[in-house]
Amino acid sequence: MNDIKLGQYVHGNSLIHSLDPRTKIICCTFIVIGILSSHNFWYLLAFLGLILVAIKYSGTPLSSIWRSMRGIRYLLLITFLFQAVLTQGEAVFQVGALSVTREGVVIGLINLLRLVILFLGSILLLMTTTPMKLSAGLEFLLLPLNKIKIPVQYFTTIISIAFRFIPTLVEESLSIKDAQRSRGARFDSPKILSNLKSYLAILIPLLASSMLRAEDLAEAMDSRCYGGNPNQYRMRTLKYDRVDIYLIIFMAIVLLAGLLI
Amino acid sequence: MSKIIDIKDLSYIYLPGTAYQQQALNNINISLNQGELLGLFGGNGSGKSTLAKLLNGLIYPTTGRVTVCGIDTSIKALRNDLWKKVGLVFQYPEQQIFESNVYDEVAYGLRNLDLSESEVKSRVYEALKRVGLIPNSMVNLSPVKLSGGVRRRIAIAGILALEPEILVMDEPMAGLDPLGQKLMLDIIKARQENKTQTTIIISHNLKDILALADKIAILEKGYLVFYGEVPELLNHIDILSKFRLELPDYLQVAYALNARGIKTNSEINNLHEAGLELIRIISSQKGKF
Repeated sequence: MNDIKLGQYVHGNSLIHSLDPRTKIICCTFIVIGILSSHNFWYLLAFLGLILVAIKYSGTPLSSIWRSMRGIRYLLLITFLFQAVLTQGEAVFQVGALSVTREGVVIGLINLLRLVILFLGSILLLMTTTPMKLSAGLEFLLLPLNKIKIPVQYFTTIISIAFRFIPTLVEESLSIKDAQRSRGARFDSPKILSNLKSYLAILIPLLASSMLRAEDLAEAMDSRCYGGNPNQYRMRTLKYDRVDIYLIIFMAIVLLAGLLI
Repeated sequence: MSKIIDIKDLSYIYLPGTAYQQQALNNINISLNQGELLGLFGGNGSGKSTLAKLLNGLIYPTTGRVTVCGIDTSIKALRNDLWKKVGLVFQYPEQQIFESNVYDEVAYGLRNLDLSESEVKSRVYEALKRVGLIPNSMVNLSPVKLSGGVRRRIAIAGILALEPEILVMDEPMAGLDPLGQKLMLDIIKARQENKTQTTIIISHNLKDILALADKIAILEKGYLVFYGEVPELLNHIDILSKFRLELPDYLQVAYALNARGIKTNSEINNLHEAGLELIRIISSQKGKF
């Protein structure tokens, strides 16, 4: 994984980057509802086009997104194959006892598209929004839940810390992996057991250092008076623009269109 | 003496073709003979650690060639076995310890070499002794409960046990107390006494290594700004002052005396020689004061 870490924020100056995080989160929610409630293949295809335009517009290099897509290629393949084979209907062709049905292929394609859109949508959100903005947006949107005694601020703090430390952990695991490789650990051995043992040699030090880091972080937060209150300052820095409102209205129309088709 | 490391026109780029593309090393040329000790200096982000990984075959050059022990590291099949010849001690190696006792931790690499268990045992004991630990009282302890300095020595023993032809140590002194630093220097010195073993020490503190090193390489932002023998570096006052490289105290005294017109031999290697030189100067200056 000597590549850009999946979903890591990439600095940029596009319109997508400058959108309010709440807008992006709301739009992503619309996307999820839209694509999960629609069974129309063409609608989903149009949706995919829309996301690709947004990615292109955000200046995120398509090549690196394409490469990260390779990470889920087996998931996509398995999803498609299972749907194609296990759905009842008119058989298109037969392989032994298994028959691929026309309905299966259609449903398989639809689910494949859904997964790709979900993946690209979330990648776009993560790659164009800093973790801090993202958690401020989430905190604002979920704040009403505070009324029913759900401590949203804890939840968003956890999420923002998790986002913040994913790249650090990936980096650290890579360096531990290098260290174990230079002691002869093999990660591509034909023997599964020896591969497992090699991965254990990464996991244990990684876990140990994460524990230490968590402890340090907790003390650092304590020493700077973290009290678990909603982060009013961070939320005040959020600002809605006219573009945000237009975009939400546009996405709402797209969503409605999907529900009506 | 035969060349053990030969680096020709080496460049290395991280994540080429992405938003994070970064040129880490530019047109580096270094060659090192068997048995020599190279001190590799440079500030943060100068490419020192990248160079270390290139020597060990963990990464391979974007352009140029790195030949180590006669093995061209751009050939994948050969590169994968390079760890047997080049031992790489990473920064803060104590953080990669994962076995439940000291013995297994030091033996990890040896078992990957498929050695017999009796050979493993003798090498583990030997390596622990070399880093100044008493094997019998250590082998059954859990590394977690030991201090950072001892853990580092265990991690280093794990590499020394492999008996690599080339040992690369990345910032071996960082974060150690004075006693720990002295122990680390002793380990390096002991290795140097064996004339066939080559060592590379990566550091940002010249003072530690200058007396031990045969050759010095200085990296800045991925460029090699100096490569040569120690006396040659000492004549480059411009480089020394540019990188704020602090010389050992006795050399500073020698240079200061020279600057005041008192002829002093500046090719002294340790405190003892410096003392003798001072006595010589004082006795020759007698009567002038």
